[in-house]
Amino acid sequence: MIPIEHFLIVSASLFVIGVFGIFLNRKNIIIILMSIELILASVNINFVVFSSYLGDLVGQVFAMFILTVAAAEAAIGLAIIVCFYRLRNSIFIEDANTMKG
Amino acid sequence: MALYFFYFFASTAILSSFFVIFANNPVHSVLWLIVTFFSVAGFFILVGAEFLALLLMIVYVGALAVLFLFVVMMLNINFAGLRSGVAQYLPFGILIGLVIFIELILAFVPWDFKEQSFNNLSSPINLSETNTVALGKVVYTDYFLLFQCAGIILLIAMIGSIVLTLRSRPDVKRQNITEQIFRDPNSSIEVKDINPGEGI
Amino acid sequence: MSENLKYLTPELFLVIFNLSFLCVMLFVKSSSILLNCNKIAALALIITAVLVYFNHVDANPIINGFYTSNEFTAFFKMLILFLSSVILYLSDAYLKKNDLLKYEFPILINFSVFGMLVVISSNDLMTLYLGIEIQSLSLYIIAAYRRDNLKSTEAGLKYFILGALSSGLLLYGISLVYGATGSTQFHTIYSAIMYTDRTLGMQIGMVFLLSAIAFKFAAFPFHMWTPDVYDGSPTPVTAFMAIVPKLAIGAILAKVLFDVFGGISDKWQLVLVFLSGGSMIIGSFGAIAQSNIKRILGYSSIGHVGFALMGLAAVSPEGLSGFIIYLFLYSIMMLGIFAFILNMEKDGVLVTDIYLLAKYSETNPATSFAFSLILFSLAGIPPLAGFICKLYVMMAIINSGLVYLALVGAIVSVIGAFYYLRIVYIVYFSESNDKLDANIPAGHLLVLFLSSTAIVVGTYNLLGIEPLTRAAAESLLY
Repeated sequence: MIPIEHFLIVSASLFVIGVFGIFLNRKNIIIILMSIELILASVNINFVVFSSYLGDLVGQVFAMFILTVAAAEAAIGLAIIVCFYRLRNSIFIEDANTMKG
Repeated sequence: MALYFFYFFASTAILSSFFVIFANNPVHSVLWLIVTFFSVAGFFILVGAEFLALLLMIVYVGALAVLFLFVVMMLNINFAGLRSGVAQYLPFGILIGLVIFIELILAFVPWDFKEQSFNNLSSPINLSETNTVALGKVVYTDYFLLFQCAGIILLIAMIGSIVLTLRSRPDVKRQNITEQIFRDPNSSIEVKDINPGEGI
Repeated sequence: MSENLKYLTPELFLVIFNLSFLCVMLFVKSSSILLNCNKIAALALIITAVLVYFNHVDANPIINGFYTSNEFTAFFKMLILFLSSVILYLSDAYLKKNDLLKYEFPILINFSVFGMLVVISSNDLMTLYLGIEIQSLSLYIIAAYRRDNLKSTEAGLKYFILGALSSGLLLYGISLVYGATGSTQFHTIYSAIMYTDRTLGMQIGMVFLLSAIAFKFAAFPFHMWTPDVYDGSPTPVTAFMAIVPKLAIGAILAKVLFDVFGGISDKWQLVLVFLSGGSMIIGSFGAIAQSNIKRILGYSSIGHVGFALMGLAAVSPEGLSGFIIYLFLYSIMMLGIFAFILNMEKDGVLVTDIYLLAKYSETNPATSFAFSLILFSLAGIPPLAGFICKLYVMMAIINSGLVYLALVGAIVSVIGAFYYLRIVYIVYFSESNDKLDANIPAGHLLVLFLSSTAIVVGTYNLLGIEPLTRAAAESLLY
C-alpha cells in the first residue's frame, strides 16, 4: 500500500499550483478558471484518498458531487466570460478597470 | 509495482499542472489540463475508486475540457498580451505558494489516522461489492437529498448560461411550429380562377 | 424516509413552485403575468415562510443526519424568506424601467433563497457545500444579469472568480477535516474533535473552512470583491446581496463555529478577533473617500460584518444572541436604505452619486427624515437601534475579557459615523443645482418608513426578537 502522505503531498502541490496560477495569471480569465479546476482536482484527490484509506464511501460521494458542481461552475464561468468578451473584445481583467479598487 | 505507477502519475500530474499555468497559448493549457485529469484518474484507480476515475474522464475530459476548448477557440483571443504582468507577480506568487506548500507538508507528514476515526464512518466500504455498485447503493438512498440538490445546481447552470448568452435576434427567421400546425387550407390557400390569356 | 419528508415541506414547496413556474412561464405569452412574475415569486416566498413557521421542529439531526430543523434555523429561514420577498417586490420597478423584467430573475432569486435554506439547515459539510453552491451560483448569474452593461458583467466575473476560489478553499478545508475525523457530519465531528484537536491537519482544515466562509461573508482580509461587486451589479441585486446572503452565511458561520468546532473555541477565537477587528477598520476607513452610495454601502456592510463577528468572537451565549440581533437589525436598516436608493433617479436614470442628493430635504422632507434616521442608526448614534445592537455585542465582548476589541469597535464607529453623517449633511445643507426626481412609489416609501419606524421602536424593545434570538442561540449551543 502506498503511504497516504504521498497522495496528500501531490494533492497539496496541485492545490498550491492552482492558487499560484490564479496569482500569476491575474489577467487571463481562462487560465484562472483552469487553475480553479486544478484546485478542485486536488480536493478530489484528497477526498478519494481519505475515503479509500478510511474505508468509507462518504469521500467518494463527496467527490462525485464536486465533479457535478465543478461542471456547473465552469459552465456559468464561461458564460460570463462570453458575455464579457462580447462587450469588450478581450478577456483581460485589468483591461476592464471601469471600476476602481 | 503500484508505487512506480504512483510516481509516474504524480510526476505527470505535477508537471502538466505547471504547464497549465505557464503555457503561452490557452489551447495548450487546456490540453495540459486534460493530461492532469488523466493522471488524477490514475490515482483514483490506484486507490480503488474506479467509478470516479471513469467519471472524471467522462465529465472533465469529455465535457469540461471540450467546453474550455470551445470557448477559447470561439473567442479568438489575442494571446500576445496575456503574458504581460506575469513577471511582476512572480516573486510574490512564489513566496505565497511556498509558504502554503510548506505549511501543508508540515501538516500532512506524518498523517496519523486516529483509531476512533474509524468508528465515525457513516457508510463503510464493503469490499465484496464493486465500487460502482457500492456508490449506487448509497447515492440514491442515504444521499437522496444531496442528489436532488446537485440536480438543482445543474438546472441553475443551465438557466444561467441561457440567460446570459442566448440572444434572440429579430432579423433571423425561425420556424414557428404552433403557427404551422394551426394553419388550415381555408386561410392559407386561395383558389383563383384564371381565364386563359388574362393573367391575375 | 417518507416521515423525514415532513421536515422538508418548505423547501419542497419552494422548489416545486420554482420548477412549475419555470415550465409555465416558458409557454405563457401573456404580458400581464410576465409583468407580475416578481410579485408571484414573492408571494411564493411568503407562503414558504408560513410553512417554515408551521414546520416540525426536532432537536436532533434529521434525514440521515444531513439536515436540522430547529428554532435557530426557523428564525433565520423566516427572516430570509420575508426579506427576499420584500426585495423582489422592491426590484420590480427597476427591472421594468431597465427592460430586465424576465421571469428568470425571480426564479434565480428563489433558487438562491432555496440554497440559503439548505445552508442554514445543513448538518453536514456536504449539505453545507451544496447549499452554498446553489446560492452563490445563482448570485453569480444575477450579478451579471445586465449582460449589455460592462460594469455588471465585470462584477459578475469578479464575484465568480473570487467565489469559485473560496469554494476551492472551503472544499480543501472540508477534505482535511474529513480525513482527520472520518466524518462530515457536524455532531460527529463535534465529538471527534475531543481526540483529534491536536492534529495539525484538522486545524489547518478548520482555518481553510473559516476563511472560505469569511470570503462569502465579505470579512477582512477577504473583502476585496465587495465594493466592486456591489457597485457593478444591478441595484436590486446589490440589495439582495447586501442583505440576504449575509444572514445565511452568518447563520452557518455561527453554526460551524459552535456546532462543529465548539470544542476548540480557544483556537478560533483569535481568528475571529482578527477578522472582526480588520473588517471594522476597513469598513470605516475604506468608505471615507467614496462618493458612490453603492460603494459606500459595500464598505459599510464590511464594517457591520466586523461588528457582528465581534459577537461570535465573545464565545458566549449572550455574544451569540448579540450576533443574531445585530444581523437582524442590520438587514432591517439596509432594507430601508435600499428602498430609497432604488429610487435615486435623475431624469429617469438611476444614479449613485451622493452629491446629487443635495438639498433633497427641501423637496421631500419626510423621506429625507426617514432616510437620515436610518443613516444615524447605521452610524450607531444613540439611542437608535443600530446603537443598541452595537452595545449588545460590545457588552458581550467585554464580558469575555477582550476589552481591546471593544475599544477598537468604539473608536472605529466614531470614525465610521463621519461618512454616514456626510450623507445626511449633503441631504440637508449642501448646495447644488442638480435635483433628483422626487417621485418614489408608495410601496417603496412604505418599506422605507416601516424600516425607520422599526429602528426607533427597536430602541425600546428590539422589536421583541430578543427572546427569539435567545431560543435560537440556545438551540445552537448543545
